Amino acid sequence: MKVKFFAHIRDCAGVREDTVQFSGTVGELLLYLSNKYGNTFRGAVLAGNQVSDRVIILVNGRNIVHLDGVDTVLDEEDEVSIFPVVAGG
Amino acid sequence: MIGWTGCILRVNLSEGTIKKEALARSDARLYLGGRGLGTKIMMDEVDPRVDPLSPENKLIFMTGPLTGTMAASPGRYMVIAKAPLTGTIGCANSGGHFGPELKFAGYDGIIFEGKADQPVYLWIDDDKVELRPAGHLWGKNVFETTDKLLEETREDARVACIGPAGEKGVLFATVMNDKNRAAGRTGMGAVMGAKNLKAVVVRGSKSVEVADPEKFLEVCTEARRKLKAHPVTGEGLPTYGTGVLVNILNQMGALPTRNWRDGGIFEHAENISGEALVEKYLIRNKGCFGCSIGCGRLTKIPEGKFKSFGEGPEYEAEWSYGAACGVGDLAAICQANFICNELGLDPITMGATIACAMEMYEKGILSKEEVGRELNFGDAEAIVELTRMTGMRDGFGDQLALGSYRLAEKWGHSELSMSVKKQEMPAYDARGVQGMGLSYATSNRGGCHVRGYMTSVEVLGIPEKLDPLVTDEKAGWLKIFQDLTAVFDSAGICLFTSFALGLPDLAGMLRAAVGWGCTDEEILRIGERIWNLERLFNIRAGFTKADDTLPPRLLEEPLPSGPARGKVNQLEVMLKEYYVVRGWNEDGVPTEEKMAELSLR
Repeated sequence: MKVKFFAHIRDCAGVREDTVQFSGTVGELLLYLSNKYGNTFRGAVLAGNQVSDRVIILVNGRNIVHLDGVDTVLDEEDEVSIFPVVAGG
Repeated sequence: MIGWTGCILRVNLSEGTIKKEALARSDARLYLGGRGLGTKIMMDEVDPRVDPLSPENKLIFMTGPLTGTMAASPGRYMVIAKAPLTGTIGCANSGGHFGPELKFAGYDGIIFEGKADQPVYLWIDDDKVELRPAGHLWGKNVFETTDKLLEETREDARVACIGPAGEKGVLFATVMNDKNRAAGRTGMGAVMGAKNLKAVVVRGSKSVEVADPEKFLEVCTEARRKLKAHPVTGEGLPTYGTGVLVNILNQMGALPTRNWRDGGIFEHAENISGEALVEKYLIRNKGCFGCSIGCGRLTKIPEGKFKSFGEGPEYEAEWSYGAACGVGDLAAICQANFICNELGLDPITMGATIACAMEMYEKGILSKEEVGRELNFGDAEAIVELTRMTGMRDGFGDQLALGSYRLAEKWGHSELSMSVKKQEMPAYDARGVQGMGLSYATSNRGGCHVRGYMTSVEVLGIPEKLDPLVTDEKAGWLKIFQDLTAVFDSAGICLFTSFALGLPDLAGMLRAAVGWGCTDEEILRIGERIWNLERLFNIRAGFTKADDTLPPRLLEEPLPSGPARGKVNQLEVMLKEYYVVRGWNEDGVPTEEKMAELSLR
């Protein structure tokens, strides 16, 4: 599946996007990515074992809080986007 | 008075007179300042049915009690008049340094009446205030005008002025201050131009007093700590500016593309994003007076056909010139935005009007002969050229100068204007962000995002996380946002602080500044009063429930892709709830009980 990173999460991952062979939940994906990209990335997206309240995670454009949260099950065709909490206007 | 200076300037341009009047304490108590007080003055002194470009309209510059203090981001002032673009109450907010300087000179605001025979500018040097001839400045752009005025007054003065767009009556002309900050929407610059008022120059050497300095220091320090600690105001906005929103709205399928025709996913979004701006063209960020956020962008296009230098663009301009026009060239977007600053144009309406013209051209409604060039979506050179032509009202720019609604209506296709009450909507597709549709439809100044920023709860999750695809709870939340925003706008601090600060923080700063013993709820009630007063102005101007609507495209044409695929905006459901939540009757008119409750009777 495709995972996209934005704003400073991009700096933490060191790439704009990644294609990963993965099956599981959003929570498991974040752990997988944290192991792959290291502690800076982990610190940005996780608070302990929980998803940090400083990130927004979309699956196919839907915020996971309106799906099943970290338990949202991912499919090979899904696109995951990870943003810091940002705003503007 | 404490917080306020207690003095308002009244300048009659027809007679050339200048009076200093005491600020009405009772009005300040009920309407605070800025937007609220300006609207109250308009309601008391101007017939809402007046022609906005006639001498009978008034033009008001108004600060708030927190403007120029050490409150969080306290650089704001507002310009208020009946709006030429919409016919509603007009009101536009700006930052920079002009507002604080006006207070340092000893004035809460200025009321301009009538029309000068010849171009003039107002020069305020503390207690000394005079009208001066401005014939030599007429025709000059914003930067030239500002430089010249600083040369002939004082180099440390602050300038608010219009460019050629305001002089020539472009209906979405801005009032520009400190060169690059804009009181941007609804056409306040056209009102200024119609009065033959080229500029206001101010220099002040006094300070603003607060009621409880010790408490004020404490609450402001805490507010500033929160701004620094919050990911939006401490990190996202300073680093990426407002353009950081481009990618998230695009990923959510709600970035309106090609005049809202092609759904909410723009294939070149990454190229026009805040991240791209940082990577390619940003020199540094920049803040307004006393601001710790610094969302402003100092930008340089070093080479190529769009080589240029200036400030911005904001998210809204990245969208209006970018996704809305189908343009993926960030350099062209930056230059078009710089021209808006130079000539005094609102980039939201400008870009959106060009987008509307592009669709009309592709449909064969506008010909190459009429436009003077080809005008397909994606034409980067067109957005730059047409912006300059509009500011100067050259050629086809003369038609664009009326905004998208009047342009499309002239050619028999008003449905192609993506506007509400004749003002172009900003960069959030209301089919994918339902509550934003209700916000646009009910905004007292027409299509606008900063009267009730539902994106905050529906997209960004601040302070709650609401599902953008449903209508539940949207009416109630919108009322809170609208009322609270009216307080921010009237207090004189930046709305962006509201990402990190809530009502208790704002109320705490206000209480310590002006010495009130009121509750948070009473302060929010001021916002509700202002909202209802604006509504009453519009009703008296002739607006009805029928105007609380959206373009047919949003109500009838489903989004073709993305998470909101198949959705239209369900305005009718939300609007009915909204009138109830507001305490209005089913026609959207405030009831007698509501007006009595808000001391509007």
